[in-house]
Order: sequence, then C-alpha cells, then structure tokens
Amino acid sequence: MSFIHTRRIALKNVRQSFIVNDAPIHLFENVNLTVEQGQSYAITGPSGTGKSSLLMLLSGLEKPSAGEGVYVCSTANKTAQRDGAQNEGGLREGSQSEVIKEQRLPLEALRANIGFIFQQFHLLPELTALHNVALPLKLRGEKNAQEKAAYWLKKVGLAHRLTHKPKQLSGGEQQRVAIARALIFEPKFIFADEPTGNLDVNSANEVADMLFSCCEENGAGLVIVTHNEALAQRADQVLRLERKTKSASGSNLKSQLRSAVEDTPC
Amino acid sequence: MLTSTLGLMWQLHQQEKHTTQQMFLRWIQGLLMVFIVTLSQTSDNIQAFLSNNLNSLLGADVVIAQSHALTPAQMEALRALSHQVVITQQITTTLTHEGRWQRAQLKVVDDDYPLQGELKVTSAMGGAETSLLRGPAPGQIWLDSRLLASLSVSLGDTLMLMNRPLKVTRILQHEPDRLMEGHSVEMRALIHVKDFQQMALPEARIQHRYLIAAHANGRESKSVIEQIVDWQKAHLPAAQIHHKQGAHPLALFWQRTENFIGLASLILFFMSVIAIEQLTHLQLKKEQHFSAVCMSLGASKRAAFALSVGKWVLRSVSIMPLVLLVSAGAHGLLIQWLGNTFADLHWQWNGMLALQSLLTLSLILFVFQLPVWVGLWHSSVAKLVNQHQHSRAHRSTLVAGLVVLSGVAWAYSDNGLLTAMVLLSLLVSVVLILFLSWLALTLGESLTKNVSGLMPFALYMMKQRIVSKSTQILGVGLCAFLLLFTLMLLNDLGDTMTRYQRQHDGNLLVSQASDAQMRDVVAWAEQHQAEIRMQKPYVYASLTQVNGLGLGDFASRPSESLDTFKRPIRLHWSKTVPSNNRIVNGQWWGKHNAPEAPTKPTLKASSQYRDSLQRWQQVSVEQEVMTDLGLTIGDKLTLMIAQQAYVFQISASHAYKPGKGSITFWVQMPSEAIAHISAPHYTMASLEVTPQSFPRLGALWQKHPSLRMVSLQEMTARFDTTLAMVTQVISAFSVLIIVVASIVILASIHAFESKEKQKNSIIQSFGFTQKTCLTLNVIEWGITGLIAAIGAILGTYIAGLLIYQSQFSLVYQPSLLWLLGTVSVILLGVTALGVIASKNSLKSSIRALMAES
Repeated sequence: MSFIHTRRIALKNVRQSFIVNDAPIHLFENVNLTVEQGQSYAITGPSGTGKSSLLMLLSGLEKPSAGEGVYVCSTANKTAQRDGAQNEGGLREGSQSEVIKEQRLPLEALRANIGFIFQQFHLLPELTALHNVALPLKLRGEKNAQEKAAYWLKKVGLAHRLTHKPKQLSGGEQQRVAIARALIFEPKFIFADEPTGNLDVNSANEVADMLFSCCEENGAGLVIVTHNEALAQRADQVLRLERKTKSASGSNLKSQLRSAVEDTPC
Repeated sequence: MLTSTLGLMWQLHQQEKHTTQQMFLRWIQGLLMVFIVTLSQTSDNIQAFLSNNLNSLLGADVVIAQSHALTPAQMEALRALSHQVVITQQITTTLTHEGRWQRAQLKVVDDDYPLQGELKVTSAMGGAETSLLRGPAPGQIWLDSRLLASLSVSLGDTLMLMNRPLKVTRILQHEPDRLMEGHSVEMRALIHVKDFQQMALPEARIQHRYLIAAHANGRESKSVIEQIVDWQKAHLPAAQIHHKQGAHPLALFWQRTENFIGLASLILFFMSVIAIEQLTHLQLKKEQHFSAVCMSLGASKRAAFALSVGKWVLRSVSIMPLVLLVSAGAHGLLIQWLGNTFADLHWQWNGMLALQSLLTLSLILFVFQLPVWVGLWHSSVAKLVNQHQHSRAHRSTLVAGLVVLSGVAWAYSDNGLLTAMVLLSLLVSVVLILFLSWLALTLGESLTKNVSGLMPFALYMMKQRIVSKSTQILGVGLCAFLLLFTLMLLNDLGDTMTRYQRQHDGNLLVSQASDAQMRDVVAWAEQHQAEIRMQKPYVYASLTQVNGLGLGDFASRPSESLDTFKRPIRLHWSKTVPSNNRIVNGQWWGKHNAPEAPTKPTLKASSQYRDSLQRWQQVSVEQEVMTDLGLTIGDKLTLMIAQQAYVFQISASHAYKPGKGSITFWVQMPSEAIAHISAPHYTMASLEVTPQSFPRLGALWQKHPSLRMVSLQEMTARFDTTLAMVTQVISAFSVLIIVVASIVILASIHAFESKEKQKNSIIQSFGFTQKTCLTLNVIEWGITGLIAAIGAILGTYIAGLLIYQSQFSLVYQPSLLWLLGTVSVILLGVTALGVIASKNSLKSSIRALMAES
C-alpha cells in the first residue's frame, strides 16, 4: 500500500493589529482561512488592508495578534484519494475514510517548506543567473546544485542566460530566474508578492503562466498578493480584503474577507 | 539669502551628524587630526626645549671638543680670539668600591670651571640643592646619585682611583655645560685637574673640551663666534664645535624622529583612505539624492554644491575643539614619558602651530572629499536621479588617496633612502596581504565550487565582494602584523641575540684596551681560565674630508652614519678579509702604481698626493655607510689620526657576515698602513669568563680605570632598555592602528549593510532562519580573521627570517604555542567585532524585501 502526504495552512479566528505612534491599527479580525498544497490563491484588495500582513501570517513569519495558525500534515493511503469528497480539514477521502495520520504543527514549522517571489525580484547582483538559482540548494548542502539550477533555468526558458548577471537580464527574465530560484528546493508553498507588478503586460503574462504552471507541476501551494485582477482570476480561489466604511468600534479600518474562504473552515 | 543658506547648512549638519556614516567620518578625521596635532606639538615642544637648552646648557658661548689637547700655539691663537677659555677633560672610566664596579664619565675641571652658569649639588641624598661657582677641590670627588647608589658609596667615603684616594664630598645634580652630554645616560663623576694629572691615565682617549666666552660681559658676539668657527674649520677640522648661534646637537636627531613617525603615519592615512573610500559611495549617493531633490525644486547646482561644501566645513570645524582637547592630553602624556630622556622638559602649547596643523590636515581631508564634490558638480538632474557616478567617484577617491599619501611622504621625507625603505616595506606588507586575500578567496571559491554548504557559500560571496573583503583583511592584517612584530619578534630577538653573543663572543666584551691594558687582560685571562675568543686592533680616526670637501659639505643628508662620523671612529687594519666580513664591491687591497708618498704626510703634504696614493692608502668601507654618506669606490677620504691627516682611497666596500663573531669595523685599511701611521693602538676583544671570575675583574679596573669592558649582562640590559622603549612606541602606535582598523572594519560593514540585509532576507526567503544568517556571518568573519592572521604571521615570519638570516645566519623558529595563541586571539577578536558590528544587517526580514516593492 502506498501513501500520499498532503499539507495545509489553516488560520482560525485570526486578528492582526499593531500600534503606530501609540495609535492602534486593526488590519483584520475573525479570519478563517485554509491554504492547501497544490492549490492557488490570490489575495487582492486596496492598499493598506493588510494583504502583505496576511501573507506573512500564512507563511508563519509573523504571529497573529489573536487567533491561531496551524500547519497540518496529513498522511492517507492512496485508495482513499480516488474518491472525491472533502472532509472538514480539506483532505479528500474515500468511502473508507483512510486518513492514517494527521500532525498539527505550529506555523513556524513551515519555515523549511516555503519559498518567496518578490515584486523587485531581489536576485543577488553579484551572482550569475545560474548561481542565483543554485543558491538555496547550495545553502542546503546539496551536491548537484548547479546541474539542478541549469535544469530549472532551462525549464523557465533561460537556458541561454546561465552566466548572465541580474543587471544583464530584462525584468521578465529576472522574475523567471526568481521563480526558478523559489521552486528549485521544492517548497510546499510559494508566496508571491506582486510578482508581475514591475513588468509590462507581455512579460507579466509570460511570468504568470510560468508561475502557475511550475507550481502546479511541483505540487506547490501558491499564494499571490496582487492588485492585478486578471492575475488574481487565474488563481483557484480569490481572497479579497475590503476596507470597511465604518467599523463597529468607530474610526478604525477593518478588513473583510469575501469569497470561498469562509466555505473551507479549518 | 546668505543667512538662510547658512541656516540650512547648520540645520542639515545637525540632522546628519547623528548618522552612522557621519560618525565614522568624524572619527577618522578626528583621529588623524589628534595624531598630527600631538606629533607637531610634541616635536615643537622638544625643539623649543632644545633651543633653550642650547642657550642655557652650553655653559659657554662656544665649545670646541676633540680627542687631543690643543698645542700651545693653538691655545694661544684661541685665547687671542676669545675673552676666556676654560678647559675640561672627560674620560670614560670604571670606578670601583668594595668589589663593586660601575662605568662612568669622569669629568676633570679646574678652578675656573664653570665658565658660565652654576653647578648644582646636594650634601645628602634627597637634600636641598646648592648652587656653586666652583668644582671639587683637589682630593675630592663628586658623584651623581645613580653612581653613588650603584657603588654603594656614602658621602664621606673614600674611592681609590689609580691608587689615589678621593673623598666623596658632594652629590652632583647638574653641570651648566650638561648639553655636551647629549642624551647620554652614562653616570657622572667630577674631580679636580690636579688629581687627574697625577693619575697618568692614557692621554689618547681623553676628550678635551674648551669652553669659550666670546665676549667680556658674557654677551654673545656674533662676529667673535664666527671668527672662532672659521679658525676651527681651518685649524681643527676634526674637532666638534657647538655655539649659541648653531643648532642643538640633538635637534637634527629629533627632526628625524618626527619625520620617521610622520612617515609611519602613512599607514594611518592609507587605512583612512580605505575607510573613506568605503564611505564615499554612501555619501555620494546621499548627496546626489539631496542635490537632485534641491535641483528639481528649482535650486541651482551651485547652491546645492555650496550646501555640500558648507556641511563639510561645519563638520570639520565642529570636531576641532575636542581634537584640541584630546591632543593636549596626549601631548601631556608624551611629554611625561619623554621626561625620562629630557630632564626638565615641560608641557608647552603652541596655539599657532596647532591651528596650522589643523588647517593642513583639513586641506588633506578636503582632498579626500573632492571625489564627492567632483561627482556632484559633473552631474545633471537626470544623472543624479539615476546615480551613475560611482565608478568615477571610485577612481577619484583612489587618485585623491594617492595625492594625500604622496603629500604626507614628501612632507616627512628628509632622507630619500629612509622614505623609500618605509614606503617599500609598507607596500610589501600591503601587497602581501592583498595577494594572500585574493589567493585564499580565489582558491577557496574554486575548490569548493562544486561543493554545497554554508562554508562554500560564504567563500563564494566573499570572492564576489573581494574588494571590500580585502580592505577589511588589510586593516586587520596590518595591525596584527605590527602587534606581532613588536610583541613576538622583538622579544624573541632579544633572547636570540643574547644566546648568539654568548656563543660567539663570550660573555665579556673589551671595547677599548691599550696595548699595555690588553697585555694585562691576557694575563688575567690566563690566570682565571678565561678564554679569549677574538682580538682585533684599531686606531682612532676622524673623517674630516671626502674628495677634498669638508664632511658637512659632502654629506648634508642626515643619517646614522653621518652622526657617528662626526666623532672619531675605530679604524681596523687587516691583510685579508676578516672572517666575519665579505666584499660587496671593489677589491680588497688592489694595486696602486702611484709614486711613493711621504711616510707621514701632513695635511698640506697629503693634498699634493691626493691623486698619487700608495698601496697602503686604501680603505674598505662598510656598505651601509657608503650608501648613507653617498660614497663610491675611488672616493678619497681624509682621516685625521693622532692629529695627522692621511688620505685614503676607497678600494672596496664590505658587509658583515654573520656566524664568526660580532666584532666588525666600518672602515678598514691594509696591515702595511700601520707602519706609516703613528698613533696609539687599541684592541677590541671578546672573552668567555667563568661566573666565579667575574667579581675579580675589579682588579683590572683598579689598575686600568680607562679600560673599557662591558659584560654580556650589561649589554643585554642596555639592549633590553632600548627594546622596551621601542616596544612602548610601537605598542602605542599599534593601539592607534587598531582603532583605525576597527573604523575601517565598521565603515566597510556600514557601507555594505543594505546589501548584507538584502542577502540575509533573501536567504530567509529560501526557508532558512536568522540562525543560518548568523552562522554565515560568523564563518565569513572567521575566514576574514584567519586570512588576516595568516598574513600577519607570514609577514612577521618573513621579517624574522630576513633579520635572523642577515644578522645571525640563523633560521627563525617562532614558538608554535605563540603562533597558535596569536591566531586564536586574532580570530576571536575579529570574528567577535565583525559579528557584533554586523548585528544590524542580521536584523533583516522578508517583510523588508516586500516593503521595497
């Protein structure tokens, strides 16, 4: 009998607020959200509603002011996956309900399984494209880092740019290098912050295609923060943070979640 | 308009002064200013002291000193030129008392002494000083307090000198002609001439001094002094002369000391160039951004430029009060320390000089700042926004640095050879460390190219940032090298020298023994089973002319050799090349086909034979002396030997060859020459004496007080004293280097902080924690420290090897424990400083990368 491992990130009744110049700022509250490995999500909304903060919470890099975030790792047998129903935790299970093991871990445990893609690409300027992509594997002590990096660069269509440094590449090419770099160590989740924000329409489409297809192929969960509606619509689910016109407590801004998020409680 | 511009300048200056970058710049400026102001003040203080000292401590208007008494005719001529002449004699002797002995300078005076000024004495240890206008009476001896303590003598005791009893009646505190002792640390004693005449000490080694009053009322008379100087030049060319209108005998020495320290400060300036170069990028970026904003708001380029210059002026002026305060304190400490060498040296502040030093240094710093202003001036708004001036600024900083370094080298250079040597050794150290950095990082990176892990990554990143890393390594390496050189090599050198001298020269060195004295030494050695290791004869000679020119006219460049040649030197004769010498140039006693010269040529006669010399009229001169004085093979030297002038031609130059004893001579002549020269012969010798026989040396000194012998213990004690002084100076300088090196490290960390932060954030975005970044940081600084430590140790080892090889023919074997300990200390120190200073760049987050979006 073979097993399948799936992972998900779950936020439950999460609130995020902070204090700036002695004034409390509430970003959002009562957020319940599950992000599954293999699925894509887009977080949209006006500036200042807490999109990036939500990304940081999901990646476990920041802690919520209230509520709970967990990283769930489940193991099920293969036959169980053939059936289509979903259980409460989001895991597909068959008629025999074959979940063998489920581990609920704090979100910090996600650390080694996440990758990031930024609007400004953030490639190291001293390194070539090949070395930039090989970097995560080199740091992990993997032996065939450069071969794998060459493979990934070929995959994102930059086989001819291996020895080029970032400043010798166009914006679209730089972002493709960044995608290869984020995926090379096979993270379970990819978090992308405005990945096409610095690109023209053509490059943005190319990069988006690349990003979605690579994540799908790698079985990685993808969470994108974007203002770009077209890009957001390509995700399996869209999460929209909206500014409340007037909160119950008065003048504080609040964010509201809409869409299917609330349909998949943790 | 002007007021508002000034107001804005002040406001911007106040805002910027708390930034890290400005803080580093202030530190560098401040340290350089403190160094230069302290150095110039101390030097000025010493020169002023020496100048006063010349007037108050010459004890006469003119002093003529030579190793022979003036002839009656010369004496008559001198008396005719001057108002009064007082004669003193001085001899180095060894005084003994109840089994103890001590070398001392014995000064012999008559009833007319002192000529000008007063003698200061006490009648009890620590008692009140009394001023006297007469020296000791016959039968009395006055000792200085150190000599009194050394011989365990009390006032009222009797000392025997050449079988003549002398009663100790006073403690000698001060002689008005003390200047003539220079900064000699010899112990001193004073006796009456009548006692001395009855002692019949060998005449040849007595230093005769003629204290001359030029004018009746003690007033200086320029024309009289000039006449005496002219007379001395014509009739006593080998004599030393000092007068109130001349330079202090130590003035040149201290000028050279200041120049040497000034040249050594090139290291400080060099490291400052590195630190400023690192900060210039950031500064230019900020200035350009600010100018772009100003110009986009309609301000002229000139106004933006003026603001930048104004801010710099405010920054420079604002640190000056603190600089002056710290310099005054440092100057005070130095004066206190130098008080051991110069008695009565007091703290004195020259405000004008301080201002001058500050302005000069400001000019230097202005040159450092030029690249930023050049960058600003040549920029358009578009270029300013794009900030494409970095490579130009980088080049300009290097050019400015070179200009400054050349300027400093030129300002402190009084001797081309010394400057070249200092610059060359600096350059070699810098190139060595840079090469080592490049080699280690390149090799490390290429060897680990296909290996993964934190170490290969750290090596790779360091290789990519090799310029900044090399400068960090250079800073650390240079100060570690200086410290190691001082603490390890010099101390080690002391021990090795002692061992070496013991092995080759025995434990007792006879530096001057007349024939009669040497016979007694040989007899004493036989009697006490002492082994004579080496014996070499010599005569005393004074170099008066080179190729017919007076020594002062021929060689005006100050050097150690010139200083020594102003006094009589030892002239050795030897048929063959001594076993501890080797020929560098020329031929050891080549043939001359010239006609026969008179057996004893006089000064007048010798000039007729300058171009027709005999075979015996050749000398070989030590190679370093040749270089110092600018002599070449074939040059003719006029040597005054026992008041007769002899002309010799340089036929060879020789150098010391280690391994066969250390008694060597700067000038040597053929054996047959001695038949043509009538002068007292002396011998230098080395002996190995058993410890039991040492106390019996007193008998030899009792019989021959002028016999000059020094034990290995005394020699090493003198060496240790010199070493301790050198160690103190270098250690103090090293502390300064450490501070500047720390600033270099901090400045380069600051310059790369944003890049480092970005790198750390990116690493975290790969799923790593801050702990990984910290580990990487520790590895990086560990490698930096390791390369610097290896560079420093290698530099010290090479220096040690060269010194040992050239001086002792030995292989330098440093202590392994010392080496490991040093590497560990440097590694720990550098890693700790680096990691602590990099803590800001470790406070990175992925959130920050997002914020940049």
